[in-house]
Amino acid sequence: MAKKFKSKKGAERVSLIVAYTVLIIICLIWLIPFLMLIILSFRGEQAGISADYLFPKQWSFNNYIKLFTETKFLTWYGNTLLVSVVVTVFQTIIVLMTSYALSRLRFKLRKPLMNLMLILGMFPGFLSMTAVYFVLKEINLTQNIVGLILVYSASSAMQYYICKGFFDTIPKSLDEAARIDGASRHTVFLKIILPLAKPIIIYTVLIAFIAPWGEFMFSSFMMKGDPDKFTVAVGMKSWLDNSTLMAEGYFTVFCAAAVVVSIPITALFIWLQRYYVEGVTGGSVKG
Amino acid sequence: MADVSLKHIYKVYPNGTKAVNDFNMQIEDQEFIVFVGPSGCGKSTTLRMIAGLEDISAGELKIGENIVNDMEPKDRDIAMVFQNYALYPHMTVYENIAFGLRLRKLPKDEIHKRVVEAANILGITEYLNKKPKEMSGGQRQRVALGRAIVREPKVMLLDEPLSNLDAKLRTQMRAEISKLHSKLKTTFIYVTHDQVEAMTMGTRIVVMKDGFVQQIDTPKNLYNYPANKFVAGFIGTPQMNFFEATLNKEGENVIIKFEYSDAQITVPYSMLYKAKPAYLDGKTKVYMGLRAEDISLLPEDIKNSKAVVKVKVSHKEELGSETLVYGDINMGGDGYVESSTRVIIKDNSGRDLKAGDIVDVAWNIEKIHLFDYENEQCVLPRIPEYNYLDCEIKNGKLCFAGCEIDLPEAVKCNDLKGDLLLPTDALTLNGNLKAEVVSHESINGINLSALNMNGHRFYAVNLQYSEAGKTLNSPINIGIDFKKITVISDGKTVIAPLSELNKLNCKFVKRKEYEEVNVNGKIKRKKAIRFGFDVAGKFFEASEDMSQKIFAALGIKKAFTTPLNLECGIYDLAISESGIPAKIEGYLDYGSEKFVKCSVGGSEVYVNTDGEISGEIYLQPNFEKVGIVEIEREIKII
Repeated sequence: MAKKFKSKKGAERVSLIVAYTVLIIICLIWLIPFLMLIILSFRGEQAGISADYLFPKQWSFNNYIKLFTETKFLTWYGNTLLVSVVVTVFQTIIVLMTSYALSRLRFKLRKPLMNLMLILGMFPGFLSMTAVYFVLKEINLTQNIVGLILVYSASSAMQYYICKGFFDTIPKSLDEAARIDGASRHTVFLKIILPLAKPIIIYTVLIAFIAPWGEFMFSSFMMKGDPDKFTVAVGMKSWLDNSTLMAEGYFTVFCAAAVVVSIPITALFIWLQRYYVEGVTGGSVKG
Repeated sequence: MADVSLKHIYKVYPNGTKAVNDFNMQIEDQEFIVFVGPSGCGKSTTLRMIAGLEDISAGELKIGENIVNDMEPKDRDIAMVFQNYALYPHMTVYENIAFGLRLRKLPKDEIHKRVVEAANILGITEYLNKKPKEMSGGQRQRVALGRAIVREPKVMLLDEPLSNLDAKLRTQMRAEISKLHSKLKTTFIYVTHDQVEAMTMGTRIVVMKDGFVQQIDTPKNLYNYPANKFVAGFIGTPQMNFFEATLNKEGENVIIKFEYSDAQITVPYSMLYKAKPAYLDGKTKVYMGLRAEDISLLPEDIKNSKAVVKVKVSHKEELGSETLVYGDINMGGDGYVESSTRVIIKDNSGRDLKAGDIVDVAWNIEKIHLFDYENEQCVLPRIPEYNYLDCEIKNGKLCFAGCEIDLPEAVKCNDLKGDLLLPTDALTLNGNLKAEVVSHESINGINLSALNMNGHRFYAVNLQYSEAGKTLNSPINIGIDFKKITVISDGKTVIAPLSELNKLNCKFVKRKEYEEVNVNGKIKRKKAIRFGFDVAGKFFEASEDMSQKIFAALGIKKAFTTPLNLECGIYDLAISESGIPAKIEGYLDYGSEKFVKCSVGGSEVYVNTDGEISGEIYLQPNFEKVGIVEIEREIKII
């Protein structure tokens, strides 16, 4: 009796087709809200939150023009950008330094400190919000960009975990070779470790930028009552809360604002993602 | 270009594990030293301590003139090559080599000159603009070597640099590193677990095991005179054959009888002069070692040999130029597993042997090694510690080897018969025992003379007979240093040697003192903190250097609570007007020298003295020569 062999190639193709179908469906579910947002932002006619049709009858840039001329959006955007950039710089530096110290130096209470930081990081930040608010109020830092930067950067060191994990993969013998070559600890950090840590620096920058860029809760608390100090998230939420504005057709403007808000992050990601792929440690040690 | 000196180096981890124990070595300039041993023996740790990558728990490390214990690696003027190359991956080969020079702020053209020169030596000129990842393992290791030599360091440290390379490349790089050494004329310290690398490259080899140095010697001496069974088995391939055996002295011959086998061989007693007589009783078990190349299957060797043993062949390993024949001296043994009857023979005779054949083999008895069964130390040390003799004490005279000598007052005892342990360094030239020097050899700078006294063989170290105008085979007069002898009778020590080291309990203490300082005409009391040792209530100020060593070894907190021993030689403790109060317990009169025995606290000490003294005395240690030992962990701190 001739045995029937199933074609290996055929089976592979079937499984690929199934996998791609599932992926495409998931992709669509993910993308539809964004597409809606973009399409609505170009709508010429008015629309409420519950738009009854998707594709506009009239395409226009009016929403964008309105956004930059009639609203405070540009101020908010500037505020947010300033906060995010400064926080990104602070946080990246702090995280890298903390991670290097925890990865390379051996000191007393190193392990307990790491655990403590991990456990503290598990509590949601807003638990301490009220307390932090009052402290900042005492030193006149509420309704103040500096205060916001301070709050966002304060707990940066707690983000050490992934970065430390990366540093641990850089062979210690590199540090040792450099120290014998005449480098001090910080020369090692600056000239050896940092150039090798590009992927993780990129990661840290992205995470550090995204968090304050979209953060709402703390900034709404901090900046309450002073529309000039709003961040985009707070400002845009204030539109949604304002039913008269919404009735005037501000929803399409809101959509336009959302698109503009997403630009820097997208750009940042596109620019930096190639470093993700690049393996930089190749060739340092055996392998 | 410098010598390196390691004195009592220890590495103790916080959990108490000792990775390196009392490492002592003097490495001369331009030597090629190899640390070798199985993994975990502490060889890399020692190297890393020299490099400054690992703290030294106790001891003193000197590179050139400087004590470098607390010096940063970069200031020690050393270079290191790592097993995994440790090249900076983001830099080109050129930048990798230049990195150290740039950090030292050398002028650009000088850096360029040196990099190109190093690249030329190592043949990597064409790769200078490549990144490490574009290179093969051998090339990367060359870059790592280049990075090390370009700095022209005093000492080159290499940590298993060839372990990641394949066999062929390894042999090639081995030769290149040796060439580099002869070219650079720098001190090299090389760590490897491969004994072939050690034997081929080192001028001297340090064999280590479990944190202890087993033997330090030249490759040839390690091979020919292993100090213990471990070294014997570690050096040389195939491994040395070990058999359990007993030695039985019969007249002028010694019969070596093997356990678990009927085999036995006879060797002349003259070969075993240096062995302790207790081994030759036919009952004490020893290990007998014989290398595979010292066993012959050649018919003419077998015909001429006096030591022929029957071996049952089990299998062969064909190596091309020679054959390794595996067999067993026990006719029931299988020869595959390592046992105390298995024998490996390096055979060049080309004889066609089959498994199960029983053949005669000739053993080269000149090359026999014997090791103690318990402590595995060599039974035939190159420099014996003691001469073992039968003796009799009669009317205050010590009779041994057919001569008589008066016992001094200090060691007088009743008449008895016993064994005399006469240390090889206890024989002097001022005495009236007649002897003659029959042979003389120099072993690692120590002169060993063999003496003949009334037909008995003696060994003496550093007997300066030629400086006293005597020659070989001419009669000389010999005396005995009675401080060092031991007499044992019926298992009891009747005469014990005088301990050369006094041990006193002490503590490291801190003292606050107020000094009066004249500041602008006003006298002010100023607080000063002094560190020192408290020995039986008496305070001795410690030098800055000593205090630092104590703090480095024990830590600031523990330094003041850890019980310590102050060790000082019997000549380094002097009687003076003030010092440690001591009570006189008795006198020891050795004729030419007199000692007073006193008690300090709970311990006994001996002090050299000229005349008789009485009553309370005070002792003053010579702090330039004392040692400080941590009692609990047995670490010599100073």
